[in-house]
Amino acid sequence: MRATGVITGAAILLGAAPAAAQRELTVAPLVSLAEHRVAAGFGVERSLGPIVGGVGAIRLSPRLAVAVRVLGGSLFGAKGVLDRDVGELGVEASVATAPWLSLQAGAGRRVYGTKLARQAWTTVGLGAAARLAFAAGTIQGVGRVALLPVVSVSGLRGPDVAFRAATGLEYRVHAATLGVEYSLERYDFPAAAGVRRLEQLSTLTLLLELRLR
Amino acid sequence: MRRLLWGVVLAVGAAPALAGQRSTGELLGQAHEFYERLEVERALPLLRQIVSPNWPFEVTPEQRVDAYKYLGACLALAGKRDSAVLYFRAAIERDPFTDLDPSRFTPAQLATFGEAQRRTLAVAIRPVQPARIDPRTARVTFTVVATHAAFVDVNLSAVGARSAHSLYQGTMDGVRELAWDGLLADRRLAPAGRYTLAVVGRSRVTGASDSARVYFDLRHEVAALEDTLPELDRRGLLPERMSAEAARRDVAKGLGVAAAALLIAGAANGDLGGSERGGADVVAATAAVTGVVAFLVYRRQKGAIPENIAANARHRAQRDSANASIRGRNADRIAATLLLVSPAAGEGTGP
Repeated sequence: MRATGVITGAAILLGAAPAAAQRELTVAPLVSLAEHRVAAGFGVERSLGPIVGGVGAIRLSPRLAVAVRVLGGSLFGAKGVLDRDVGELGVEASVATAPWLSLQAGAGRRVYGTKLARQAWTTVGLGAAARLAFAAGTIQGVGRVALLPVVSVSGLRGPDVAFRAATGLEYRVHAATLGVEYSLERYDFPAAAGVRRLEQLSTLTLLLELRLR
Repeated sequence: MRRLLWGVVLAVGAAPALAGQRSTGELLGQAHEFYERLEVERALPLLRQIVSPNWPFEVTPEQRVDAYKYLGACLALAGKRDSAVLYFRAAIERDPFTDLDPSRFTPAQLATFGEAQRRTLAVAIRPVQPARIDPRTARVTFTVVATHAAFVDVNLSAVGARSAHSLYQGTMDGVRELAWDGLLADRRLAPAGRYTLAVVGRSRVTGASDSARVYFDLRHEVAALEDTLPELDRRGLLPERMSAEAARRDVAKGLGVAAAALLIAGAANGDLGGSERGGADVVAATAAVTGVVAFLVYRRQKGAIPENIAANARHRAQRDSANASIRGRNADRIAATLLLVSPAAGEGTGP
């Protein structure tokens, strides 16, 4: 069983940088295990594989942060499913409205590639992230939800339903933060020629955020 | 036309004063010329006019002292020693710094002047000159005089202060310069304010006493000082202890995150057969365990949060270190304080 793969980590990393000092610069290398499922009239195709990448974030003010993420990897298809490569570039702004809540807006470009074709996805997302302090703040629970009102996929009409949700934990150790997160992206496309295309990407991500200044 | 009229009125009004100054100065200059030509008999009436109460024009203190001095000099040349002494004393009483230049006056005149000095005790302090002094390398200089041998006490004190700082105590005869390092009796830099410099003298010849005082303002010129960092309040520090209730809430928070992970996994599309739940299970288990471990750690440490205690200690140490540096820099700046001295008139609040 082999597949090529794609994506993810993106949602996980959106706004991954914890609140900190002004002009704080962080980088967070990450590794994800991603599972991609798609149904386009030929049954459910599954592919699974690793994605690596990183997120760089800068806090421009106590409330405003901007993050850029770069991801890439391969998803290996199950039996009869083509392997695919995936790459993604995204940017996201985050505004803290309360110590535990921030609003997020971002855009990303994701490309899936197989031996036969390439498919580009462009998404714009609006959402929020909530933080829950544990153990006097050394551990934080994180939850994120984002709607994707703009999803442009080459060769397809935009989906009727598109959202991303994630939750996880962050462990702060001195200037580093270790994070683990589960995320899910779901896209339900409208039926075309009697066939309804459904796509879904779930990831388990481990990241290590390092504060540079 | 009206302006012209006012101009004339003003000019006429100002004329006597200007003419007076010019008249006294001119007359004194004329007397000097007669004296230099040894025409003493022609110089004397001019000088007497100047010191006369009937002289209608303004006479400055310096002009009056000069007139008395030259009257004494003229009379000494004329052999009228007693009168000469009288006029020299009048000059000395008005300005104890009055002196005769040995290169311009005869030994007889100098002797007569010396006699006048011996008969008259007067002490004085020369008016303080504006100065900008670095007390580390320079001194404020005061000039005092006693017209003949006298026991003199020179004291410096802030206006309104009870204690005084003695600058000089002893016998002196003539002019003496006193250097002040800017420090008071407690060896601290004198604070800014108005000061009195007083001199009291008692003659060792006649037993007579005299005193004088001058005032000056003292200001500090120091580079702006830095503020030290404020005390760390609760907002600036991490909590060092956790309540039992907070620890129990951690368990609930862990379970909440676990539930959220499972809920998200449950939001997967059923037509796609759900999702790979392994990731969600991992996060859920991790969150639940974290909540429980946080609670157990709390119980073991009896509520103390060692990380926060250490972080707060580091924070306090950083603040203390920063404040020590700031205090050091401020001390350097204070040590480099410059003293600005300027003359003042009378007692007041000072600058």
